[in-house]
Amino acid sequence: MTFGFDPAEREAIAATLDAAVPGSVEWGAVEYVERLLGAFDHEPPRIWAAPGTWAGDGPAWLDPGPWERHAWRLRIDAWRSVYARIARGADDDADRRVAFEHACESSYGDPAYGGNREGAAWVAVGFPEPLFPPARSDP
Amino acid sequence: MTDCDAIIIGSGPGGATAAEVLTAAGWSVIVVEKGRNHLIDLQAPFEPLRHFANDEIAAVRRHLLGPDPLLEPRSYRRSEADGDRLMVGEVNNLPSTVGGGGVHADAKLPRFREEDFALLSARGPIDGARIEDWPIGYDDLEPHYAAAEASFGVAGEAGANPFAAWRSGPYPMRPGDDMPTALVSAAAAQRAGLHPYRAPTGVNSVAYDDRPACVDCGYCSGYGCAIHAKGDPIAALARALRTGRCRIVPEAYVTELVLDPAGRRATGVRYLDLTVCPDPPVRELRASRAVVLAAGAFETPRLLLRQGIGGDAVGRYLTYHYQTFTVGWFPHSVGGERGRSVTHLHDDLMIDTPDLRRVAAAAGLAWVRGGVVEHGGANAPVEEATTYGPGAHHPASMRDSAIRRRMWVFTMQGEDLPQAANRIDLDPSVRDVWGMPAGRVTYAPHRHELVASAYAGPVHEAILLDAGAEVAFTSTSPPQGDLGAHAAANPLGIAPASRHVMGTARMGIDPATSVVTPEQRLWDLDNVVVCDSSVFVTSTGYNPTLTLAALSHRAATLLAG
Ligand SMILES: Cc1cc2nc3c(=O)[nH]c(=O)nc-3n(C[C@H](O)[C@H](O)[C@H](O)COP(=O)(O)OP(=O)(O)OC[C@H]3O[C@@H](n4cnc5c(N)ncnc54)[C@H](O)[C@@H]3O)c2cc1C
Ligand code: SF4
Repeated sequence: MTFGFDPAEREAIAATLDAAVPGSVEWGAVEYVERLLGAFDHEPPRIWAAPGTWAGDGPAWLDPGPWERHAWRLRIDAWRSVYARIARGADDDADRRVAFEHACESSYGDPAYGGNREGAAWVAVGFPEPLFPPARSDP
Repeated sequence: MTDCDAIIIGSGPGGATAAEVLTAAGWSVIVVEKGRNHLIDLQAPFEPLRHFANDEIAAVRRHLLGPDPLLEPRSYRRSEADGDRLMVGEVNNLPSTVGGGGVHADAKLPRFREEDFALLSARGPIDGARIEDWPIGYDDLEPHYAAAEASFGVAGEAGANPFAAWRSGPYPMRPGDDMPTALVSAAAAQRAGLHPYRAPTGVNSVAYDDRPACVDCGYCSGYGCAIHAKGDPIAALARALRTGRCRIVPEAYVTELVLDPAGRRATGVRYLDLTVCPDPPVRELRASRAVVLAAGAFETPRLLLRQGIGGDAVGRYLTYHYQTFTVGWFPHSVGGERGRSVTHLHDDLMIDTPDLRRVAAAAGLAWVRGGVVEHGGANAPVEEATTYGPGAHHPASMRDSAIRRRMWVFTMQGEDLPQAANRIDLDPSVRDVWGMPAGRVTYAPHRHELVASAYAGPVHEAILLDAGAEVAFTSTSPPQGDLGAHAAANPLGIAPASRHVMGTARMGIDPATSVVTPEQRLWDLDNVVVCDSSVFVTSTGYNPTLTLAALSHRAATLLAG
């Protein structure tokens, strides 16, 4: 089982993400947040995508060290609380700032992380495909 | 029983250069590095690792190269009047990883000029600043500059910069391709009477040292190079490893120098083994001859201060480059998505001209020097997106892309005068996750920096307008004025954004006012040699890394005898 929002949570969170960055939900912002909050449902945890096929065969995700795992667990636990508040409608400005930053990351970061579906956000703003993209593995 | 001849703390450009020199001289060394290894396979044949991609999420947003500010916070205040601190978080963070800041720097590697080593003699004192001549001159350092350029592989064009210091030979290779808009801004700078030139850069323009030529991917400043076309410092580390006399120990956080009973020599280091979490064990390594301290100009004083080593000047005379950004918004794309972030520089504001004399006289200063000016573009859509703020305007702002696609920037790395009150010390209550006091910055620019910046802004705005920008404006880091408004609006934050950190363990000839000797040995521990930019006496207005590597090359050569 990997992390996912239930339909009611999804609706509230999608509304917040889309209000912050209109279009982000269509590009995959909810999936981006789900993958981020579920990073530790995989081994190695899905924090940093490894280089893509241009670099030869290799693992799809880089392996964080023990202290990096510690920091990312703390961060993700805090964000899970943020999104729980957003889902309940009990969010504050700081929570909405987190959602905004994630909406920006999901839209304009690499599709490897679950947002920016097929690079659509990059196309919309005329940003060119990277020469050395990270691996884009299946969820 | 000892483990090696020398222990080197830190694997950035300073530590890597020392490792290359000492192993070439037959010494055995252990490089102890706090961060993780994403750079080079530590087993023979020491191939470059393939961990880097063109990935803003990993490199910029998710701290791939460390340090993670949740684990290692720092604090900042402008002066003691601010209380213990104004903020906690990222302050001048350079990567904490095998290779240090060299891994993601875009490697503009100019040399300093003759005058930079003798500023007091050449230009005289300025009230409120401790300007001194360096105890060594350009001529002493020239052979080491040449060696560092050959090691990292610097691409450049001798004679292109009319103000450059003399050099004993050509650059190792020709410059790489120009960024197209740099040609436009360089031409406009020339029309204004300035002297732009192709930036000497530690990036291969041709295959060199078994590494490929750069392909101008655009992810240069702030990213590890996917194909290792940047030579700093993988080239030096690889050569050290290939001697068979170098071992690199990553995830090893040095907390203490181990001293002999008389307290006059270091016999080794203690470190936390960060491969274990929680409760990392303390381990010890012993060196028979020397300890090289190359933790960077932020962490080196922090380590010394924890042990009370080095005297009163440790941490003081902290300098950055006071950064003045003149931004031009063009009506069309400027192509920052490809290229090496910056391909052209001009030095004119470092030179003693009638204009700058007038500016100095009007401000009541003995002299004014600006800094090297980088002509560059941007390539970070996520950072851009976070800058526009949330709301309905967002898609239109991104499509318009004033602060990425249409933005060309002159960044002046302004000379920052050494002041005793500007310092790194230990925060009284903020600690890192391992319980060590965090480094705290107290910093405010001298009036000289503000005067130079105020002069540079209009000069550069006029050039960008002449180059075709529709709008030009200037800002600085750190921002001046009301911090409340800036904290919310300024994407660079309130602390100095400069990653050029210098001068916290200055070299000199007087133990009362300096921390290290002209050979870069600590005055109070003669087998500890400092090999990073903390030894800088003045900041000059040039990017520091080639000079700190040349100094490391010189100090390690002297150490090895
Ligand atoms: C985006 C960016 C672009 C840049 N571009 C340029 C440029 O174009 N030109 C230029 O000249 N400079 C540039 N710089 C600055 C350059 O990166 C630094 O000047 C350079 O890395 C400093 O080298 P150093 O060896 O002194 O220290 P660092 O590179 O900081 O290396 C020090 C190493 O020591 C390790 N360390 C610290 N404390 C400990 C400890 N207690 N125990 C064990 N290890 C420890 C750190 O983890 C680190 O890896 C840039 C920096 C950035 C961030
Ligand atoms: S621009 Fe060149 S040197 Fe810089 S990261 Fe890309 S390929 Fe490497």
